[in-house]
Amino acid sequence: MSLDFSIFIDYGPRILLGFWLTIKIVVLAIALGLPLGALLALARRSRFRLLSWAALAFIELFRNTPFIIQVFLLYYVLPFYGLRLPAEQVGVLALAAFGSAYFAEVIRGGIDAVPAGQLDSARAIGMSDLQAMRHIVLPQSLAIILPPLTNQMLSLIKESAILSTITVQEMTMTAIRVQGETFRPFEAFIMIAALYWLLNEVVAIAMRALERRWTTRPAKGGA
Amino acid sequence: MAEKFLELIGLSTRFGKVTALDDVSLDVARGEVVCIIGPSGCGKSTLLRAANWLTPPDAGTVRLNGSVVGSAPERRVTGAHIRALNSNRAQIGMVFQQFNVWPHMTALENVTRAQVVVLRRDRAEAEAKARQTLADVGLSDKLDAWPDMLSGGQKQRLGIARALAMDPALMLLDEPTSALDPELVAEVLNVLKRLAAAQMTMLIVTHELGFAAQVADRIIFMEAGKIVEEGPPSQLLHSPRTERLKAFLDKLSLTALPREHAHDPV
Repeated sequence: MSLDFSIFIDYGPRILLGFWLTIKIVVLAIALGLPLGALLALARRSRFRLLSWAALAFIELFRNTPFIIQVFLLYYVLPFYGLRLPAEQVGVLALAAFGSAYFAEVIRGGIDAVPAGQLDSARAIGMSDLQAMRHIVLPQSLAIILPPLTNQMLSLIKESAILSTITVQEMTMTAIRVQGETFRPFEAFIMIAALYWLLNEVVAIAMRALERRWTTRPAKGGA
Repeated sequence: MAEKFLELIGLSTRFGKVTALDDVSLDVARGEVVCIIGPSGCGKSTLLRAANWLTPPDAGTVRLNGSVVGSAPERRVTGAHIRALNSNRAQIGMVFQQFNVWPHMTALENVTRAQVVVLRRDRAEAEAKARQTLADVGLSDKLDAWPDMLSGGQKQRLGIARALAMDPALMLLDEPTSALDPELVAEVLNVLKRLAAAQMTMLIVTHELGFAAQVADRIIFMEAGKIVEEGPPSQLLHSPRTERLKAFLDKLSLTALPREHAHDPV
């Protein structure tokens, strides 16, 4: 099967438009999902039982059901309760909720990996729980949290393709349409595969740079 | 001991089926140095961690200079409780067996951060204080060092400096030399001896009987969650009244004790 390059030129702009919507959706979903994940992780550790159970239930629900089902439930069920949102917004919410469940587990694992003595010394010196987290525990967790967090972001980006099933005009939906119009599936899907790959590489490289910046220290010191 | 500075009243702690503290009461006067000795698992570390409410007991009250650090069982923990606890803790320095220095900060930052965050000191002032305190424990040349570049003895002196920079009214020391190589013990004990000479109020859990004999105004012997015997070092270490203390001292073999020391009775 030979490639028909005219397809890239004729339909490239439409694909790029879908790509742009994919970027907007995943950026919003991560921007919402990360803080939600951090809150869930803290809630899981709370001494208030109700709060930690509620967080656990949320996390387990979103980790143990297929994302496509979560999307269908939100998209088709919410309107019955009077909440009629555009497909793009449902998509962002579904991705954010799905992502936050995984982010929460990664963040909680990172917090738990810091030796208990570190929290002891922070609290013994008079820091509040929040100050101890901010100044002592979280900075030490970052090195543990960032690599798996990156993985979760990459899988969230890939899962965004599922939103094509609820009519969101993102990149996968666009490619399906192009394929339908041209009967050239190879060209249509190779284009978006390359673009997903590109987006994920950019995110991975940015996260690695962040990792280096936050977790390696300046080369100075005594000894 | 007329003046009550630190009051531990009726502290009881259970971990599952184990009774770590069994209705323990202890007063420490301002400027007093009290050493706690006893076999491992006797509750001495638990007592120390109850004193700043790090491990809240199941029952009992702790007061520092009249202000309630904690009282159990607590009916409702309010924001005001937590703020009062944190401000009491800021006045109570704690030194840990495993140092617990903060590995993601330089030595200088280890000693500066809590001054800024907890006491809201101006950063320049806090750093000046940190430099001074690090000099006091002999770490002037390690300001920019990361904790993992320091020896055990240096880490522990850093931990002590971190606590001292807060201008604590009381120091709690939980086996400060137990994790150290023998040749590094002296450098830490020397710092503590100078603190004792400077009238710092201290509650010290230790196995260093020679050190306890030298610095303590009073020694407490604990076993099975209770204070079995207490008194001045000379009496407690040389003429123990209870069989249990005798057995404990025999086990530690008294060779560790200096033959003569200041507290010896005539």
